[in-house]
Formats: sequence, structure tokens, C-alpha cells
Amino acid sequence: MSGCTRLSDRMPEVVHGRSRWTADEAAHLAACAECRRELALLQATVTLGRRTPRLGDAERMAATIERRLTGIRTRRIGVQRVAGLAAAATLLLAVWTKWPERPVANPAGPSRPAAPALVPLPELELLDPAELDSLLQRMEQPSVGGSTLDAPGLGDLEDTELEQVLATWEG
Amino acid sequence: MTPAPLPEPSDQALVAAYRQGDQRAASELVRRHGPAVARFLYSSGALAADIEDLVQETLFRAFRGLERWRGEASFRSWLFTIAGNLARDAFRRRKGREVISLEDRDLPDRADPDAELAAGELEDRLRAELGRLPRLQREVFLLRAQEGTSYEEIARALGTTPGAARVHYHHAVKRLKELVG
Repeated sequence: MSGCTRLSDRMPEVVHGRSRWTADEAAHLAACAECRRELALLQATVTLGRRTPRLGDAERMAATIERRLTGIRTRRIGVQRVAGLAAAATLLLAVWTKWPERPVANPAGPSRPAAPALVPLPELELLDPAELDSLLQRMEQPSVGGSTLDAPGLGDLEDTELEQVLATWEG
Repeated sequence: MTPAPLPEPSDQALVAAYRQGDQRAASELVRRHGPAVARFLYSSGALAADIEDLVQETLFRAFRGLERWRGEASFRSWLFTIAGNLARDAFRRRKGREVISLEDRDLPDRADPDAELAAGELEDRLRAELGRLPRLQREVFLLRAQEGTSYEEIARALGTTPGAARVHYHHAVKRLKELVG
């Protein structure tokens, strides 16, 4: 390692006051214009740093930073909540829209088209109170199997029930 | 007999305390490193009027991403890396505008106004030339010349090797030496 390289490596330490030149280094510096220029450059750079505008109060800056970080954390929690709600809503929508198409073990086979409504709904004003109560109770009961495909068709009705329904339809 | 002063907590201890919610630790980190970050930014060509905001932004990003600081490089070097990115972005945004003006500096009163003026001119030219250096050269040079950071530490902070850091430093010195008589 040449004298110039060795001196160059030591310069920051000396400029920052952490070390002093040895006699040999001082002699080299006195004789070497390039090393003196490098030293002058480092001193000018340190002086430049000292001219840096002073910062304001550290506690105030730390408090400002913390406020900004708190704002971000709050927004992040809000976004997570909204995302969670959106995901739940999407899931519900998917379940809702797919539910009638759910495959059902039915003797009629999978190719049977979904019936729009298999429970006959007579005009309500034509029913007597007992029939209306009975109908409402049936509507409030949870559907076994969860599908309208499981609801009884006309063929499942007793003769008297069938007559009642037909009579209602015909007025 | 007066008790010996307590040793200052390390940066790692302060960061750990901050993550536990100790706001005083954040203040201490700002107090400890803010001025050095400001020096780095100012010497890199940042406008004096922007320094406070840039330092705050640097520390904000550091605190926000504390989990990314593993402690391999010093906290200060890590801050310089963030500040270097910010300085580069700020420079890009105002590209084409005058970087340095005499109004940016507060010249202290000195006995010899001619010498002061000459020193001020040298600093202006130095800042301008530092701003024109390739990024790694500038950052290595400032870390080494202004903060006295070792090549090993610089290499860890900037993601390079000590040998490459030394080469960058000497390239920067060679170019900047032309500015001083």
C-alpha cells in the first residue's frame, strides 16, 4: 500500500478528530500536494455538513411521525374491515345465487328442470282463516333439505287436498 | 462520589423500546440521527427549505418499515439508504431547476468576508458536483468523508462490498479534488 493510499484511508479518522497523524504521515502530507488536496476536500465536505440547516425540535418531529403512523394504522384497520365485509358479502352472494342449482338426490334425476314453485299458492283472500294459518305456518317452517325441489308436488297431495287446491284455482 | 453516567442505550435497544410503544425512544432516535441525515441530504444537493421535510420523511419511512431493519447495518446507515432514495426522487422531481442558490445558506458573520465568500463558493461548487456524481459514488463518499464510516459498514448499508466501496470513494475523490486548489 502506497503512502498516499494509507494516508487516504486514515484521513476521515483524522478529520473527525478520532486520530492524529503520525510523524511519518505528517511528513508525507507536507511533501505530497495530491494528499493535501484530498485533505482539503474532506475538510470542505465536513464544513459543508456543518452548514446544514438546523432541524426543529426532535420530540415534535417524533410526535408528527407517530401521528402519521397512527393514521396509516387506522386506515389499514379500516381497509381490512371493509375487505372482510366485502369478502363476506361476496361469499353470501355466491351461496345465495348457487343455492337453487345445488345437486339434489331426487328420483326424477339431475336433468329435471327446476320448478319455479311447487307449492301451490292460492289467492290468499280466498282462503278461510284456518287455511291461511296453515299456509303461513308451512311457509315459516324451515324447508327440509333447503330446496324447493324437495317440496311436494300435486301428485303428493291427498285427494281431498287436491280437490281443495283445484277448487281454489277455479274460483 | 457522583455516580457514573449511565451508558447511552444502543440503537437496537431504542428501536426495541419504540416497538414496545415507548415514544421517548422515537424522540431519542430522531435526536441522535436526524442531524446526520440532514447533513447527508444537504450535501447531496437537497434544498435547504426541503431538509426538514426530507428528514421527517426518512424517519417516517424508517419507523414504518422497522421490521425490515435487521441490525446488520447500523441504524444510521440504514437511514442514509432511505434518505439517498428520497434525495434521488426529490432531485428527479425538480430536475431542470436551479439546485443550489446562495440564498439557501445562512452565512455566519466572520472576520474575513473575502475568505468567507471563497469558502461559500467552494461549498456551492462542492454541493453541485456532489449532486452530479453517480449515486453510489456520492453516497459512499459522504458516508466516508462526512461521517467517517468504515468501508465495511458502508458496504453493508449500500449492499456492496468493502472493495467496491473503496473504489467508489476513490473515484469520487479524484473527481471532487479538481474543485479544491
